[in-house]
Amino acid sequence: MPSNPTPRGEEVLINASPTKEFFIHMLTRDIPLTRAILDLVDNSVDGARRLRLAGNYDGLWVRIEMSAEQFRIVDNCGGIPVDIAKDYAFRFGRPKEAKGTPGSMGQFGVGMKRTFFRLGRHFVVRSTTTNSRFTVDVDVDEWLADTDSRENWHFKFKELEVGLRVKEGDTGTVIEVDRLLANVKDTFALENFKGRLAEELSYAHALTLNSKLAITLNVLQIRHNPQQLLVSKHLKPAFLGKSFSSQVLVGHRGPPVRVKLYAGVAERSLHDGGWYIFCNGRLILRADQTATTVWGERHQMRAYHPDFAFFRGYAYFESDDGGLLPWTTTKTGVDADSPIYKAVQREMIEMTKPVLTFLGNLAKERAADGKQHPLEEAISTAHPMQVQAVTRPSLFTAPLPAPVPTGPRMQRIQYDKPAAEVEKAKQLLNVRSFTAVGERTFDYFMKYEGEEKE
Amino acid sequence: MMPGSYRIINYALRPAKAIERRMLCAAFERLHPFQQVQDYRYLGFGSIYFSDFQLVHRALGITDMVSIEKDVSAKACFRFNRPYRCIRLKFATSAETLPTINWRRRSIVWLDYDNRLNTEILGDIATVCLRAASGSLLVVTVNAQPDAEPTKEDRDAYQDQTGKSFELADYRFRIAKELLGEKLPIGTTGADLRGQEVARVFRDVIHNVIEEQISLRNMASPDDEKVQYRQLFHFRYKDGAQMLTVGGIFHHSSEENKFLACGFSTLPFIRNGTEPCNIKAPCLTPKEIRHLNSQLPQNGSSRKLSVPGVPDADVKRYAEVYRYFPSFSEVLFF
Repeated sequence: MPSNPTPRGEEVLINASPTKEFFIHMLTRDIPLTRAILDLVDNSVDGARRLRLAGNYDGLWVRIEMSAEQFRIVDNCGGIPVDIAKDYAFRFGRPKEAKGTPGSMGQFGVGMKRTFFRLGRHFVVRSTTTNSRFTVDVDVDEWLADTDSRENWHFKFKELEVGLRVKEGDTGTVIEVDRLLANVKDTFALENFKGRLAEELSYAHALTLNSKLAITLNVLQIRHNPQQLLVSKHLKPAFLGKSFSSQVLVGHRGPPVRVKLYAGVAERSLHDGGWYIFCNGRLILRADQTATTVWGERHQMRAYHPDFAFFRGYAYFESDDGGLLPWTTTKTGVDADSPIYKAVQREMIEMTKPVLTFLGNLAKERAADGKQHPLEEAISTAHPMQVQAVTRPSLFTAPLPAPVPTGPRMQRIQYDKPAAEVEKAKQLLNVRSFTAVGERTFDYFMKYEGEEKE
Repeated sequence: MMPGSYRIINYALRPAKAIERRMLCAAFERLHPFQQVQDYRYLGFGSIYFSDFQLVHRALGITDMVSIEKDVSAKACFRFNRPYRCIRLKFATSAETLPTINWRRRSIVWLDYDNRLNTEILGDIATVCLRAASGSLLVVTVNAQPDAEPTKEDRDAYQDQTGKSFELADYRFRIAKELLGEKLPIGTTGADLRGQEVARVFRDVIHNVIEEQISLRNMASPDDEKVQYRQLFHFRYKDGAQMLTVGGIFHHSSEENKFLACGFSTLPFIRNGTEPCNIKAPCLTPKEIRHLNSQLPQNGSSRKLSVPGVPDADVKRYAEVYRYFPSFSEVLFF
């Protein structure tokens, strides 16, 4: 007898729920180690944002300590509120209804957990806010092994106190990860890795550092280069501010996305020239010199070139709903297909064009070796200014190139002749340079053959 | 360095071009549902003859006029030849100038290049597409002459570069790829790049870039700011080299009724697709012209136009363009 073709009850179910191992593997495979650590710093910065809405972080700090045995990050940035810990911070993915920190860097509900799993097999989080204190202590191997209990994906508070009164200065979060994975242990032992992490911290959190948050790595103070453009009476960067409504971007009401774009010139540096893109204060693309931003034939633009090493463009995307911003989950690049990025990219291209014209003329001026150098002077007499200080919309302004000297158009001639014959001509003409040989022989020919016949 | 093409050809004397200019002007007149035409801005490449500027100023009364001139070395010459005080001269390439223009004003933009379509021109088109206010017109003219028969040197250079024996189709394809890069439509072959086919490919490239740029512009705009592009012009003509003109109007979706009120479709030379309007100027004497004019317009009359000794084809061509036909005499204008 054939079996019933329509399955019923338990029969219809095919198990598609992920195993924990698979989940952790997928979660951590694509994130570079430095980026995973930056994600934890993002959490601290979000704390600082909750604490100081005006954005001056003076007196707040984040300390990172790492060794082959342990990773530790401590901050005094207000701590993680219990409800955020319960519903969001330790949860995989971000619940739809979650109220995050407006304008926060953490967006996807993966950052902190992903970092724990990327680093080691045991982590402890202790956090104190002005009215609560909790400890979460997780042995990852035990957690992985628990496949049976009904709440086997949950973490549990080890300690939890609410209704406290704590001074703001005593609030903050301590995160410790140990039983580090073998490859993490090896990498943390490298002095060069610390250098790279310090550099990435200084780039990624340049805006936050600029707002006086102190970040240290093994006691070393992280410093940053502020985003500056050269300004003078005759040289002014372009600035454009734009706002995009969430109604248009995602079809429902919500906070808008505000975009600020700056383009101009700064100190010449082949490595630093290009576009910089920030989302909610976090650098996600640094000195881009590719078609991801404005360069190359795809955008009817010239490719990046040493002549353009003076160029700097800064794009700041800000929104209370970080989900609207064009960043990828690893915060290592832009989501180039998002409508908002495509629309803004067109503006970036247009803003770049006049600056490249100026830099092209500057290169010509340098090559021409003329008497006047108005463009060179415009750069040498300008002073660097923080882009944030530019608030009025403006087009890029630069002096015009020096007028081309009047007189007949000149044409260069080049040719090769046997060295011995050229030497002989040089002696016969009684001149010292080969240029003079060329010019004199040409003049000689023109004198006898070039005149109009009467 | 080659002298500018304005010294080789007197632009004012090219009959097909003159017809095109008048046809465009007749279309510009129709823009009044958007605003008074005299309050538009006209932006073009006046060269030293300023033929389009003279026509637009005299026929439409436009006074906000900008001429872009890339030949920076002869500023005095261009200033001297400027026919009206209201024409502002910008000495730089169009790629340098267009991004720095204030685009809030409705504009009629005629980018009348004499070189072949290339990525720099496409960049100019992109700028206008991003910035043009609703009700603005963009017209682009490019040279669409197929490559000349390659010389011995061209063939040798081809062999040096490719290591292959010379092949005409591939040679042409490489030149087009050089000019247009990834904007060359996929599937284009060297065989598509001969004769009239060059104009067809160039029209598609221009059209595709406009559509792409408008879609980017609309991507994050609210519905009432979304812009549509309607092609109006697609001319081909040949006074010397084969030329192609493509263009149209940008308007907000909400201004559809204004667009319809312009009544562009009643003009006989309007083309909104891949089919071009071929402008051909027959060679006729002033007496023949007067004789034909006295029988025009036909308005459905079945009487055959006639003039002694002129081929029927030329008579027919003349009837198609007579309202826009230029009359040349020894004295041009003062």
